[in-house]
Amino acid sequence: MIDNLALGLQTAVTPQNLFWCFVGVALGTVIGMLPGLGSTTGVALLLPVTLSFEPVTALITLAGIYYGCQYGSSISSILISTPGDSSSVVLTLDGYQMARNGRAGIALAISALASFCSAMITLVALLAVAQPVADAAVRFGPPEMLAIVLLGLATIVSFAGSNVLRGITMAAVGILLSTVGIASGFTTARFTFDSINLLGGLDFVAVLIGIFAIGEVLHQISSGGAAPIRARFRDLLVSREDLRRAGPPTLRGAVLGFVLGVLPGAGATLATFMSYGLEKQVSKHRDEIGKGAVEGVAAPEAANNAAANASFIPTLALGIPGSGTTAVLLGAFVVFGLQPGPLLFEQQPALVWGLLVSFFFGNLLLLVLNLPLAPVFAQALRVPYSFLYPFVLAISLIGAFAIGNNTFTLWVAFVAGVLGYFMKRFDFPAAPLVLGLVLGPLLERSLVQTSEIGRGNLFVVFERPLSATFMVIALLALLAPIVPAVLRRRRAAAAVASRRETVSH
Amino acid sequence: MSTTSGPGPSTPPTTEPQVGGGRTGPGRSDLVGTGVLAVIGVGALIGGAHYGVWPDGAVGAGFLPAVLGGFVLVASVVDLVRLTAARRRPPAPVTGAEAIAVEAAHRSAEATAPEKDVFGRTESQRSRATLLIFVVIGVALALVPLVGLLLALTLLVFSLLFFLERKPLVAAVGGAVVSLAVAWSVFVLLLAIPLPRGLLDIL
Repeated sequence: MIDNLALGLQTAVTPQNLFWCFVGVALGTVIGMLPGLGSTTGVALLLPVTLSFEPVTALITLAGIYYGCQYGSSISSILISTPGDSSSVVLTLDGYQMARNGRAGIALAISALASFCSAMITLVALLAVAQPVADAAVRFGPPEMLAIVLLGLATIVSFAGSNVLRGITMAAVGILLSTVGIASGFTTARFTFDSINLLGGLDFVAVLIGIFAIGEVLHQISSGGAAPIRARFRDLLVSREDLRRAGPPTLRGAVLGFVLGVLPGAGATLATFMSYGLEKQVSKHRDEIGKGAVEGVAAPEAANNAAANASFIPTLALGIPGSGTTAVLLGAFVVFGLQPGPLLFEQQPALVWGLLVSFFFGNLLLLVLNLPLAPVFAQALRVPYSFLYPFVLAISLIGAFAIGNNTFTLWVAFVAGVLGYFMKRFDFPAAPLVLGLVLGPLLERSLVQTSEIGRGNLFVVFERPLSATFMVIALLALLAPIVPAVLRRRRAAAAVASRRETVSH
Repeated sequence: MSTTSGPGPSTPPTTEPQVGGGRTGPGRSDLVGTGVLAVIGVGALIGGAHYGVWPDGAVGAGFLPAVLGGFVLVASVVDLVRLTAARRRPPAPVTGAEAIAVEAAHRSAEATAPEKDVFGRTESQRSRATLLIFVVIGVALALVPLVGLLLALTLLVFSLLFFLERKPLVAAVGGAVVSLAVAWSVFVLLLAIPLPRGLLDIL
C-alpha cells in the first residue's frame, strides 16, 4: 500500500495535474449548482474538452468535476431547496431548514467538512481494500441487490412525516411513475398512451426539478413567502458544538456510503437516504432531525461523497460502472485506450493510483475553495425572493431541457411542478416519491433477475444468507418506528379513556 | 444567534383535527388527494393486469404496476376511511382551564394574524399570483417552438417581475437581462448545450 501511495503521489502531485484538478473541482461546483445538471451530465459535457490531455490528467479533471458536482448540488439544495442531483434531495429536509433558520453558512460549511472527512476516510479504504472489496461486490447477485433496494425503501418511514402510510404510498407512486416507458427486461411499452415521447419513460431529474424547484416556488408564493434572511456574519460560521455534533453522523454516513457505493448500480442517492434514515434511528438528537439539525446534513453528505468515491472500485477493478457518472468515465477510459478491469491495476499502476490519490487533493481543494465561500454563498439568501424566484424558474427549466435536449422534458418538469405544489400544500411528502422514482428501475431489474434465478420463486431472496439478512433488516427498519408509535397511541388512548371514567365518576 | 425578519414559510394545513371549539377535522383536500391516489392505484392495477403479471411462471411486465397499484389502492382506501371517520367523529369536549387557554390562543392568533404577506399580498391575491405563475410558465413553454428557449424564459422572467411583482420597468428589464446573460454564458458558452432557437431563430 505504501508503494502504491508513493506512486500515486508522484503521479498526482505535478503542477499540471493539480491545476486541472482545481479547474475540474471549480467547474463541477458551478455545474452541480444548476438544477438538472448533475455529475453525469457535467462529466459527459466536459469530456470532449479533456480529449487533448494526457490520460491521467484528463481522468483527474473529470473526477474533480464529479465530486465538485456533488458539492455544488448540495449548495442549491441548502439555499433554495432545489437539488442539483437526486443525491442531494435529502439535504432539502434539514439543510434548507437550517438556511431558513438563518444557519445557511453553517449548513454549507458542515456539508463541505462532512464531505471532506468522508473523502479522507474512504480514500484510505480505497487504497487499502480496493481489490478485495471489488471481489466481494461481485458476489452480490440480483437477490442481494433486491434486498438492498427494499432496505433502502424501508428507510422511508424515517422521513415520511407524521403519516407513515401516506409516505409509503407516495414511494409506491414514485416506483409506478418509473414504470412508464419500455419495461426493463421486456419489450412492452407501459403507460405510454401511444406517445413516442413517453417510450423513454419520465426522466427522474425533470420530475425532480419540477417538484423541488417549480413546486417550491409556487408553494412559497402561495404561502406568503419568507423575508430575506439577514443573519449576522458571525452566525454563519461553524461553532465547536456544531462540529462536535457533526462528527458521529459523518463517520456513520461515510461507512454506510462506502458499503453501498461499492455495489454497482446502488448509487449515492440510495446511500444518502439510508444514512438519513439511520440517523433518525440512532442519533442522540433524532427528534431535531427534519427541523434543521446538523446531523441531517452531515450524514447524507458524508454518505454521498463516500458512495461517489467507492463507486470507482467496481469501475476500476472490474470494469463495471458503479454509478451513472462512472459509466461515463468508463467511456473516457475507452477513449484513451485504457481497459478498466482486473488487469488495469497491473498494467497502469501509475494511472490508477495517481487517480485515486488525486481524490485527496481534489477534495482538499473543494474544502479550501468552498469553506471560506460558505458564508458568501449564504448571502444569496439576502436577495429578495421576488427577484430570486423568476431566475430560479428560468434556470431550472433550462436545466430540465439540458437533460434530454428535448422540449418534452420541459413539460414533464412543468407538470411535476404543479404536482409538487399540491403535494407541498396538502402535505403529501415528496422525498419518498423521489426515492421510489430513482430506485424503481433498479428494483424492477433485480426483481426480474431474481425471478429468473428462482425460476418464478421470489422467496429465493430468503434462501441466500446475505439477501435474507438484508430483508430481515429491512423489515425491522420498517417496523421499528411504527410499532412504538402504535403502542404509544394505544397507551395515550387508554389514559384518555381512564381520565374520562374518573371525571364521569 | 441568527436573526430573521418577517414570517417564515407557513406550514401546510394540518390533517389532524384541531383542538378547541373550532375543530374542522381533516380537510377536503386530504380526501381529494387520497382519492386521486386511489384512482392512480386502480389505473396501475388495471394496466398491470393488461401487460401480464405472471406470464410463463415468472415476473411479467405488469407485475410491479399491478402489485404496487393494488397497494396504493388499498392504502388509499384505508386512509380515506380513516380520514372520513375522523371528520365524522364529534370533537372531544375541552373543559375548564384548557378551554380558556385554547380560546385565548385562538383570539390572540386572530388579532395578530397579518393581513398581508412579505410580498404585500392578501390571501386571495396569493391564490391569484400562484395561478398566474402557472399560466406564465405554460405560455412560456408554448412559445419555445416560436421564439426559442432563451427568449421565452427571458420573457417569463420579465413578465413575473413586471406584471406580478410590480417591479419598476428598469428593474424588471434588468432582471430579465441578467437571467439571459447568466443562462447564455453558462449553458451556451461554457457548456455548449444546443438550446432550441425557435422559428424566429433570434437567440
